[in-house]
Amino acid sequence: MATESMFAWLGRRIKSQDTGSVMLVAPLAAFELLFFVVPFLILVRMSLNESAQAGPYESGLTLDAYRSVLDSGLYHDLVFFSFKLGVIATTIAVLLALFYSYAAYRATGFRKSLLLFSIILPLLTTLVVKTYAWRPLLAPNGVLNDVLMGIGLTSSPIQFAPGMFGTVVGQVYIVFPYAVLAIYSVLSTMDWDTVEAARDLGASRPRSFLEVVVPEALPGIAVATVVSFAWSVGAYAAPSQLGSGQQTTFAMEIENLMLTAFDWPAGAAFSLLMLGGMLVVSLAIMRLFTGSIGGVQDV
Amino acid sequence: MSRVSRESVEDALFRAGYWLLFAVIMLPIVVVFVTSFQQGEYLTFPPSEYSLRWYGEFFASEEWLSAVVDSATIGIGASVLATVLGVTGSLAVQRSDSVLTRVLPPIILLPLLLPPVVIGLTLLIYVNRIGLTSAYLNIVVAHTLWATPLVFFVMQSVFARFDWDLRDAGMDLGGRPSRVFYHVVLPNVRSGVVISAVIAFIVSLQEFIMALFLKSYYVKTVPVLAWTSLESSLTPMVSVVSAFLVLASIVGVLVAAAVMNMEWLAKQL
Repeated sequence: MATESMFAWLGRRIKSQDTGSVMLVAPLAAFELLFFVVPFLILVRMSLNESAQAGPYESGLTLDAYRSVLDSGLYHDLVFFSFKLGVIATTIAVLLALFYSYAAYRATGFRKSLLLFSIILPLLTTLVVKTYAWRPLLAPNGVLNDVLMGIGLTSSPIQFAPGMFGTVVGQVYIVFPYAVLAIYSVLSTMDWDTVEAARDLGASRPRSFLEVVVPEALPGIAVATVVSFAWSVGAYAAPSQLGSGQQTTFAMEIENLMLTAFDWPAGAAFSLLMLGGMLVVSLAIMRLFTGSIGGVQDV
Repeated sequence: MSRVSRESVEDALFRAGYWLLFAVIMLPIVVVFVTSFQQGEYLTFPPSEYSLRWYGEFFASEEWLSAVVDSATIGIGASVLATVLGVTGSLAVQRSDSVLTRVLPPIILLPLLLPPVVIGLTLLIYVNRIGLTSAYLNIVVAHTLWATPLVFFVMQSVFARFDWDLRDAGMDLGGRPSRVFYHVVLPNVRSGVVISAVIAFIVSLQEFIMALFLKSYYVKTVPVLAWTSLESSLTPMVSVVSAFLVLASIVGVLVAAAVMNMEWLAKQL
């Protein structure tokens, strides 16, 4: 009796359209399982192995890799710098993106296409280009110094890159397009009449922007902040091309541990610890934004 | 000051602000094209002398040309794989509401939010443990992890505009699901599929951090070779290969924008 109803149930399932969907989704689900979920389990397992003198690791079951990462003063500095770069680059990128996406939202016709093109093109351009091309612009004998000295703002060249300034410029340039698109996709659904109404009621333009446009764009700003932050904490290309050696991030050290020092358990443990930290901060950012969205709605 | 003149000052400042940003955004792209025609050995901007010297050296270099072949092979592989997985997966999610189709979208989005260095290291450990030794396949897999969510979400918005009654009509007339998909659904979503495949190819062509972790002595993509060459010296050769990479993106964006339009593209990425 019980088996009969089970078969009847199976028969109904097979006749329904759902079976087709399960078969359609199977390749994607299998791919994600095989090349994303399982590799992360292997990564966790690798972090519990022992470091070896010869070869990348030695099988074992120990927390030594975590201990070595947590005890290292050098790694504390790297982590602190990575988060600092994340906060600085994210703040600048999101503020600029808010302005630029608003400009793209207000523009029409060819001008709108041009502004959006200037966002999509860098988005689809290799990180190599986005970082090295700043070097001849920011170097001590570069264009920016020529301009500053030409107009008499400085008397001697400033080393913008390699250094912190160059690293921040490069990293902001990398995440800026993603931040613009995140905010733009929300702004583009906004009804311009609400802003007009606020202005008709006597609000100045900056005030109508801050009190009408920004609250509307908040979900997009939240996404832009989380994405910019995750990528800037994990910055690799900008600090290695435009930093001076003092701008070393955790991602650069991971590359060193994996490809040069061959200490895979330490690389795995360091990555997992950083992912944990980034997850906590990202959730906190989202909470902050949902809190302020709720607050706006209450008013 | 009257309101009108104050507003025109604000307008002028606003316009100056975004055109300045526009100029700064395009500046590195300009540097790439201009310095690719530089004569000298060490990259400077603006160059003092121009020539086609580095283009000549590029086409004479076996190392660079083999990197172009590697990049194209991997790009086509990742584009085909990501398009098949993304289109079928998106179709399934549109038509069904099972547990699997609900947990899948956040999982496939996750690789885009993780630092590429972490994905590179995770896959390096994985392919080493299970013995996958083909650098081609490994990099294709890494790039597919990135390209699939883009294809998936482009197709979500394309399928959302498709009138599913047409498909149901085809089914009622007795068509097999595969035939109905081919004759009824596909013609209506073809441009979305083409754009997805183009975006997937470009994403793979440009990516270099995961490819850096998974490269082998024989298999290096163009961005990886450009990156490693930067460690020794900054020559205009990097600008030559970068100019080709940027050109590929410009063509891709213009094709996608011509098929749909720039605004639609901006909302999908």
